[in-house]
Amino acid sequence: MLLRASSDAVGAEVDLSAAVEDAADGGVEDGAVLTAFAEAVVRATDEVDAARRRALETLGPVKFVEAAATIGIFNGLVRVADSTGIPSDAMMLERTADVRGELGFNRWTGAKSSGVAEAPA
Amino acid sequence: MSFKDNRFPVPVREDMTTALRKSWADIGRPGTWWTGPERVAIADLARAERIQRKEPPWNRDRGEPGTPLSEKAIEAARKIGADPTHLDRDWAEATIAELGDAPYVELASVVVTTVAADAFCEAMGIEHETLPEPEVGEPTRERPDNMGDIGAWVPVQVIDWQRANVARALSLVPEGVRTFFRMVAAMYSGTASDFNEMVWDHRPMARPQVELLAARVSALNQCFY
Repeated sequence: MLLRASSDAVGAEVDLSAAVEDAADGGVEDGAVLTAFAEAVVRATDEVDAARRRALETLGPVKFVEAAATIGIFNGLVRVADSTGIPSDAMMLERTADVRGELGFNRWTGAKSSGVAEAPA
Repeated sequence: MSFKDNRFPVPVREDMTTALRKSWADIGRPGTWWTGPERVAIADLARAERIQRKEPPWNRDRGEPGTPLSEKAIEAARKIGADPTHLDRDWAEATIAELGDAPYVELASVVVTTVAADAFCEAMGIEHETLPEPEVGEPTRERPDNMGDIGAWVPVQVIDWQRANVARALSLVPEGVRTFFRMVAAMYSGTASDFNEMVWDHRPMARPQVELLAARVSALNQCFY
């Protein structure tokens, strides 16, 4: 998981449960604002205007665009992976072995493509 | 011109708008296996379905598709666009058996390009971009060499591959790779060497911030990869 690797690279400790919890900051600067923004866009909730406004106010216009771009492109990237059944990279599987089960990733449909699926919850 | 600067509430990097414009125009062009009108129809179906993503599939207002695409192609555009958590090997194999593997991959490439651009617009708080006018012309029907089985649902490039698997997931249709991954480079990864650096200086946000967003979007879509 590149979240952990990139946090390790700057000597920061990240809480990976932020990937699966609502509005969690994960120990990342402005993390809660970022995750709330992503959640509102992906889920198309009524909170999206407020989340966007908060993101713009907190991050400033330059970083806000980066956040919007990341949210946009990952909505495409997940579909690339899940429409082709592409297996996860071996190194990534090895590095995430300790957290995948704990966070519930192994129960997702796409886990079958990487040969690590558990029974759905 | 698509993605005009004055549509955005705040300035957007020129390399990003350039990538978005090029990839958007690509949707309207004849592809490798689909014509321009078919590609725009695929984008339109995916968008219309994804707009209704809060509703369960059986409760969505679809109307008449108004397209000559086959039922299977219509279903694939809608499903990949709006319900990525419901994609599985059995469904993909049945779809590929009817459409063909390369046409399926190209269809997916059009959908993912559309979804990424639409989600970016939603995050920015602007209307979705008008779909491009379809261009006249015939698909090239060129199938690349050096494709093989790495356990994915479709063949992928297998010679001299050193990068992440997701970057070769669409490699059965090289034009689809160019269209979508042009946007990936501008909106996320930068160059291949940028991507491999865990500390980023080519983006205004710190990489852990970017990766937190990436992880959260992936988890919301239950994407294992």
